[in-house]
Amino acid sequence: MGKYIVKRLLHLVWIMLAVSFLTYLLMYLAPGDAAMKKLYAHGVAVSDEVLERTRERMGLLRPFLEQYGNWVLNALRLDLGVSFKDGFSVADKLAKGMSYTAVLTLSSLILSLVVSLPLAVLTALKKNSVLDYFIRFCSFVGNSLPNFLISVLLMYYLCVRARLLPVVADGSVRGLILPCLALFIPICGRFIRQFRAEILEQLGKPYVAAAVTRGVKRRYILRNVLHNASIPILTVVGLSIGTLLGGSVVIETIFRWPGLGKLAMDAITNRDYPVIQGFVLFTSTIYVLINLLTDISYRWIDPRLRQQ
Amino acid sequence: MKKRNLLALLLALCMLLALAACGTNSQPQPDAQAQPEADTQAEASAEPKVLRLAESFAYPSLDAHKDYYGWYTSIYGMSETLFRVADDLSIQPLLAKSYTVSDDGKTWNIELADASFSNGTALTAEMVIRNLQRLAEVNERMAYLSDFSFEAAGDKAFSITTPEVYPTMLSDLSAPEFAIMELDATTDFDNAPICTGPFVLKSFEPEGTVEVVKNTAYWNGEVKLDGAVFYYMQDDETKLNAMQAGDIDGYTSVTAAAKEIYGADPATYTLTEIPATRLQFYVLNKTRLSDKVREAINLTVDNSAMAAFLSGTVSPAVGPFGASAPYGKVTKNAPDAAKAKAALEADGYTLGADGVYEKDGAPLSVNICYYAARSLDTIAVLMQEQLKNVGIDATLTVQEDPDATYIATGDYDIALYCMIADKAGDPYYAVDALYRQSCKWAQAGFPTAESEALINELQYETDTAKRAQLANKIVQMTIDDNAFGYVGLFNKTTVTAKGVSGIAENCPFDFYGVSAATDTNR
Repeated sequence: MGKYIVKRLLHLVWIMLAVSFLTYLLMYLAPGDAAMKKLYAHGVAVSDEVLERTRERMGLLRPFLEQYGNWVLNALRLDLGVSFKDGFSVADKLAKGMSYTAVLTLSSLILSLVVSLPLAVLTALKKNSVLDYFIRFCSFVGNSLPNFLISVLLMYYLCVRARLLPVVADGSVRGLILPCLALFIPICGRFIRQFRAEILEQLGKPYVAAAVTRGVKRRYILRNVLHNASIPILTVVGLSIGTLLGGSVVIETIFRWPGLGKLAMDAITNRDYPVIQGFVLFTSTIYVLINLLTDISYRWIDPRLRQQ
Repeated sequence: MKKRNLLALLLALCMLLALAACGTNSQPQPDAQAQPEADTQAEASAEPKVLRLAESFAYPSLDAHKDYYGWYTSIYGMSETLFRVADDLSIQPLLAKSYTVSDDGKTWNIELADASFSNGTALTAEMVIRNLQRLAEVNERMAYLSDFSFEAAGDKAFSITTPEVYPTMLSDLSAPEFAIMELDATTDFDNAPICTGPFVLKSFEPEGTVEVVKNTAYWNGEVKLDGAVFYYMQDDETKLNAMQAGDIDGYTSVTAAAKEIYGADPATYTLTEIPATRLQFYVLNKTRLSDKVREAINLTVDNSAMAAFLSGTVSPAVGPFGASAPYGKVTKNAPDAAKAKAALEADGYTLGADGVYEKDGAPLSVNICYYAARSLDTIAVLMQEQLKNVGIDATLTVQEDPDATYIATGDYDIALYCMIADKAGDPYYAVDALYRQSCKWAQAGFPTAESEALINELQYETDTAKRAQLANKIVQMTIDDNAFGYVGLFNKTTVTAKGVSGIAENCPFDFYGVSAATDTNR
């Protein structure tokens, strides 16, 4: 197991190098640069002289490989540099964004698991019943609605119409409720459908039929079914965490939640290379680590994999 | 039981994380308390008058000299400049009391008002000079100030000497970046600058919410509000919902859809709409389009119809400046499809069977380049439709970054763009940026020796009336030459809850916000 983990962590180095190089190259090739974006931010024209001076100060006039090489050398010293946009530390920005994103991601993920798993079991056990159809229909709708629509609908009905929650809720747990719900609804919908399919597949296997024939109690059968379905379920959950880390830009913007997704989107708009690179490095690391943890958990759950 | 415990533990962990993250940035910055003790007493009153506003931008610093941060310290009512641009675009003294210019036009003598900073320190000439020197150091756009020399003449007067005549000095000094800060007592410029404005900082969340309270020691009269909170809200739907839920008292840049909603409820909301300074325009490439074709295009484009389509979010423009400004007195032909067709036919074009004009077998087709911001995408489509109606085929090319693509290469027939045309009450900035031989639009072929000579004259003309005349003449040349087309000036649309007044809703500039006169009866 130890060798396996070390090997996977060594892969991470290559993945990070490849991802960071490709990102830097794409940003370099894209039209426009950080100096232009910074100086023209408010639609005010500036002279070419000012533009060139700013580009020089930012190091944008140096050759691509030199720029990338410098970034790699600094990153190896754990120095992610400062933002082109405002000169503030990239590491600090990522840390702040991550603290918010982690809260949002974890809370919506836990809520989704708590709700979706029992419902998936229920729909699988009551297959083709009215309840099954109803829950599947709801999960289908939840999964199909775009994030921005869910967000706006939640805000309108819960804040404006019902006045249950404030639109502006800085610094309070109440401020977490709406973005968490907006993320929870589509994830929960997806989980219910996928978990249900996995559970149904297990329920159709011979070991379940044999257990039923032998008169094994239903809850013991269900425990085994869940245990055997847990590997694909873990895969789904692991992949969802990766998506959630950088994929909730719309929700973060609408609910004024200063997380990583919004940070990354602003950085891309402003061609803020250091922040983009920092984000890519950070998320690719998290993504790889989560996949590694998921793989390790497979071995923990399934003894056959440990023997391979 | 174990499972239940595990679940409870996970939920508790989640709540703890939520509390930790939500709580950290809502605390006021320790240095933000650098204000007289009396300031905080206003909070203790039973019903403090605190205004809650939404802002579309937020920055990680309050250092008024850096980047564009001064725009926001000005909006927050914290910082002030020596001069300010009034609603009628005239330049009025603020921290300055009066000024004179030497006969050679190179030395500006400025006398200061009896102003003081929020910590009680009096404003001195020496402090102002140090502010201008610092601005030159920390802001690339203001680096030219290092070419000027400054000299104090006592505590309350100083002079600025420029290498050559510099007529736009007062306009420059009115820009929010020229805010005067207390450089000695301020220990953290990013988080707690000490300025002269009617409000002082209470709390500051970088790129988030900013809270200010009344400066009880304000030098320029009584401050009506007890405080104000500025929430960072990028999304238009969020602003609409927050306004409807009563969570905020107002904001600017109201969308057309939201305007309809507010307009339908005048008992609750007040809408104010004025033409502002952000200009939508297009450049006709003279190196590709003949005089007659350009004339036909300008006779075809109906900017009033475009403004109507955009639900009044823009006002139709004649030139780059508002018609009320003395340098906004220009004229242009009204749209006329018959005249447009006549111009094309005079150029040898004949109407083809497909309804498109052609010459020598080639259809008349123009390429409109634009970027999808500031409603330029809508304007491009409307323009394409209007041109099609008179027999000009138009293809649309959208770019994400106009400056690095079609403007840099000059590869366009018609280039759409949007910029602030009036930075602070003077026409030279826009004239210089748009019509100079050295500007980025020059490769479209407008600048001539005559226009360049007029721009040079404008650059050094000190008489305000003559400056306006020169600017009008130059802009009129661009219209008569059909080198430019001016589509619209964005309206500054502000919505406020009933009873709220004085949040610069009648000022065309984006960088003014709350002031001593801002009030609410909420």
